[in-house]
Amino acid sequence: MGKMGKALKSVVIVLSICVSVPLFADPQGRARQIDRIVAAELDRLDQAPRSEIDDFTFCRRLYLDAIGRIPTLDELDRFIADDQPEKRARLIEELLQSKGYNSHWYNYWADLLRVKYVGDKLHHPGNYSEWIKESVRSNKAYDQMAFELVNAGGELYKPGNGATGFYAREPMPLDHLANSVKTFLGMGIECAQCHDDPYEDWTQQDFYKLAAFSSKTYLKVDPLPEDEKTTYAEDRAMLKQKDFDEWIVYRESVRVKHASIYGNGTGFMRLPHDYQYEDGEPFDVMTADVLFGEMPPLNYKLTKADLDSLKNKNFGPEINSRQSLAGWMTSRDSPMFTKATVNRLWHQIMGTELVGPLGGLTEEEMGDHPALTMKLIAIMKAADYDVKIFLSTLFNSRAYQSRALPLGVEPPAYVLDGPIVRRLPAEVIADSFLSLKTDTPDKYVATEFKWDGFTHFYDKSQKMEVEDFVDYSIKGPGRQAFQNREEEEARKRNGESGPKDLWRVSSYRHHDGNHEVAVLMGQSTRDLIDSANREPDIPQILYMMNGDLEGDVIAQSTALIHRNMEGVEDQSERMEIIWKSILSRTPQASEERLFAHAQDDVIWALLNSNEFRFSK
Amino acid sequence: MSLPFLNAASIPAPTAKAKSVIYIFLAGGLSQYDSFNVEVDKTVLGKSTIIDSNADGVRVSNYFPTLANHMDKLLVLNSMQTNQGAHPAGIYKMLTSYNPRSSITHPELGSWVNKSLTREQDSLPNFVSIGRGRAGTAGFFPGQWAALPVQDPNLGIDFAERNRAVEREKFNKRIDILDAMNKGFDQDYGTKDTRSYVDTYASSLKFMNSKDIDAFDLKKEDANIVSLYGKDEFSRSCLLAGRLVERGVRFAKVNLGGWDYHNDLYSKYPANANRLDKGLSSLLTHLSQKGLLESTLVVVSTEFGRKPEVNPNRGRDHHPDGFTCLMAGAGVKAGQIYGTTSSDGKHAEENKLDVIDFNATIAWRLGIDPAFEENTPNGRPFKLANRGEARKELFA
Repeated sequence: MGKMGKALKSVVIVLSICVSVPLFADPQGRARQIDRIVAAELDRLDQAPRSEIDDFTFCRRLYLDAIGRIPTLDELDRFIADDQPEKRARLIEELLQSKGYNSHWYNYWADLLRVKYVGDKLHHPGNYSEWIKESVRSNKAYDQMAFELVNAGGELYKPGNGATGFYAREPMPLDHLANSVKTFLGMGIECAQCHDDPYEDWTQQDFYKLAAFSSKTYLKVDPLPEDEKTTYAEDRAMLKQKDFDEWIVYRESVRVKHASIYGNGTGFMRLPHDYQYEDGEPFDVMTADVLFGEMPPLNYKLTKADLDSLKNKNFGPEINSRQSLAGWMTSRDSPMFTKATVNRLWHQIMGTELVGPLGGLTEEEMGDHPALTMKLIAIMKAADYDVKIFLSTLFNSRAYQSRALPLGVEPPAYVLDGPIVRRLPAEVIADSFLSLKTDTPDKYVATEFKWDGFTHFYDKSQKMEVEDFVDYSIKGPGRQAFQNREEEEARKRNGESGPKDLWRVSSYRHHDGNHEVAVLMGQSTRDLIDSANREPDIPQILYMMNGDLEGDVIAQSTALIHRNMEGVEDQSERMEIIWKSILSRTPQASEERLFAHAQDDVIWALLNSNEFRFSK
Repeated sequence: MSLPFLNAASIPAPTAKAKSVIYIFLAGGLSQYDSFNVEVDKTVLGKSTIIDSNADGVRVSNYFPTLANHMDKLLVLNSMQTNQGAHPAGIYKMLTSYNPRSSITHPELGSWVNKSLTREQDSLPNFVSIGRGRAGTAGFFPGQWAALPVQDPNLGIDFAERNRAVEREKFNKRIDILDAMNKGFDQDYGTKDTRSYVDTYASSLKFMNSKDIDAFDLKKEDANIVSLYGKDEFSRSCLLAGRLVERGVRFAKVNLGGWDYHNDLYSKYPANANRLDKGLSSLLTHLSQKGLLESTLVVVSTEFGRKPEVNPNRGRDHHPDGFTCLMAGAGVKAGQIYGTTSSDGKHAEENKLDVIDFNATIAWRLGIDPAFEENTPNGRPFKLANRGEARKELFA
């Protein structure tokens, strides 16, 4: 799709938001395409297919992968009792359209896109976070989402313009470029930022040529110099002499209105001051060029020779080349974009790499089963990058509905024929506790844009003249309270958000602090791409053994798991409820000897068990 | 973090003169001109006045009257330099020796020490971070080398004790059921990841039940030692750090933040300075009394200093070129000043000391090669102290 197509598409999406999404057409048909290819490979290797999972295992697995938590007892029972045809396909459809999906997949994208407060210059990530949530809610096509992120510009806190957060969260433009390539193309080119890559083909010049597309893109939190001079400077100087706190409130509040990403690329870049190779001199002008594939045409206003004759710091006039970069990066003809996307989503659902390392793919690489990779790429393109259609295809496949393989315990060998045994993501563990506390774990997942202090103040600031800012700074409640007051107003504007202990992890926003349990379970710090941790450590285990679960779930009579046992006299029946609530299955005969134990001890043990925290 | 004996690296440390480090980090940027660098023009000192100390030729500001009696144990480093002027980047640089990048996170010094010096027989973690603030990340190292965080020194490690509602016998029953469940799961689905959980439960239980966990319990400390310290959180954190070092912990980091006084410095700063004055003095007394100062390197650092001018809001702004850190113990040239700033306080002048050299010096004193290189999982090499070199002349 051309860049105009993409720009047009975003308009169409805005218009179609209120139209309900149609049912996915024939996901089972597409799933069978996958299964045929997997079956052929198993045949070729003379390996028997894995056994198919039962309804209990399927139900748990799908809840975990589609909406990021275990099913409640009622949800499990309802699925098991369903005796109509196609019940698995119907559950897939239902969950992909549920609020739980929005919560779970927000966490996924927020990690990949590293939503985080990164410094003391007011790159507040709230609007960014809301933009991702809205993209997930409206099921925005992934290529469109990526295009908007790479091409984002304008005001940071303007509601709806949160895609700017992707640039604002990065302290340095070259790092941002390297991370964009890793995020969307699955390639690690960061080495070439400073030196020719010894392992790959990329040279430092390649990197700088790519950087030329987005050169002179920058974040500025204060008003532009002209605006500053004619509008704000005089009062700023006055306040600086008058009172520090008032000056700070003035500075910060003006910033909330003006902070923006500027620049859309000049198509030129200059080599760094310490350029060390023979094919160029420091500050030599580079014209934009792509790493592979087709070079999009650029409307240069200057020739390279023109620019060469100018000063070292001159990169030329803006020509909107960043949009061309976004188009190239997210093109369906790209040998990397779709491949990196399906590699990533397969990894999320099955637990293994389809093609190669999430951030270390090469152009030629097609994985251990190229036919499968190609088929998944074709499905993604045919689905027009609709993530839900792609996921429903995977979920409906026999491969997905196969017994999970413990990796490293051969035979059988792992041949991209289904999921592996793996630990649940941090947020999924934390959110699964909710399924034991309440029968409506997704109740407080937001269904619309939520204001925060920054978007709320931005909104107000549209009517504020300079004297209003001065007034606000002088009569305002001071530096600390400035933000707090706006957050408070935003909270009121949002309406009821429910008790925090019943929120899913995704509902925690920047000003709500960390979700401590998710952090203990290894939630990504979002400094780096794909840096969530699924390993055990002592603080995590100490929490599981001795922490708040005792009062929240294990011995809490108002928790759902205990309420479900009310009036049930028979000990075996009570134990069955515990097993189904926590492990989503009935007890095995060999486990019946554990029934004699106190019920809270059994709950504790099941919650601490590997079966609870591993997906199988 | 995890228990060290699970995964020990080994670098012999024949040249080590320090066994442990107590690393006090003053996040926010300590004003050098209102603390330990008073050898500048009088106008630079703002409202600070100069007092003599118990070390010849070492004078300090009036906000450190107690430490003035301990300056014979301290080396004052007045020529520190960093290339970072904003807090997050400055803190990152000081603690990791690298500029922050968004393609990699680097291990903190404490994490390098943890990984380098941990031995199989160690029963306590070798990197503990005490107090609120950045705990101590392992960067690209496995998480086991991160700091074990102790948020509140009076409470010890979170959840290290059995929940009050659960008696020991009941707890043991729970463990039995858990073992049975995990055995069943392991038969069908066991991997190295599931076994890693089983192992970490075992080490967590061992940790909960070990007598060494007493190390984190200040109630068990000798009353004579406790009475050396005040009751405020920073003093108690120093006490805990001393107690941990006595039990062999290699790197105890103590956080004392709040130094970012851009306005009204002279009304807000004294209370915080008083905490540092008292807490550090108590710690030095404690270590001396126990004979631990010879083997313990005490470090006081901050991400940068403050400007020589007091601004119109009666505060001081950030200043990376010429700030002050302290060292004590482990054979450091105590009772002296190393390095100077220009008399107008604007620049480091003699014996400039970059933060990477500062970090290299700490590592070297522990017997770790500062140029020791480790690769990230994707093969990028990084050194403990970046390009830093140990400043051996700081030690006698």
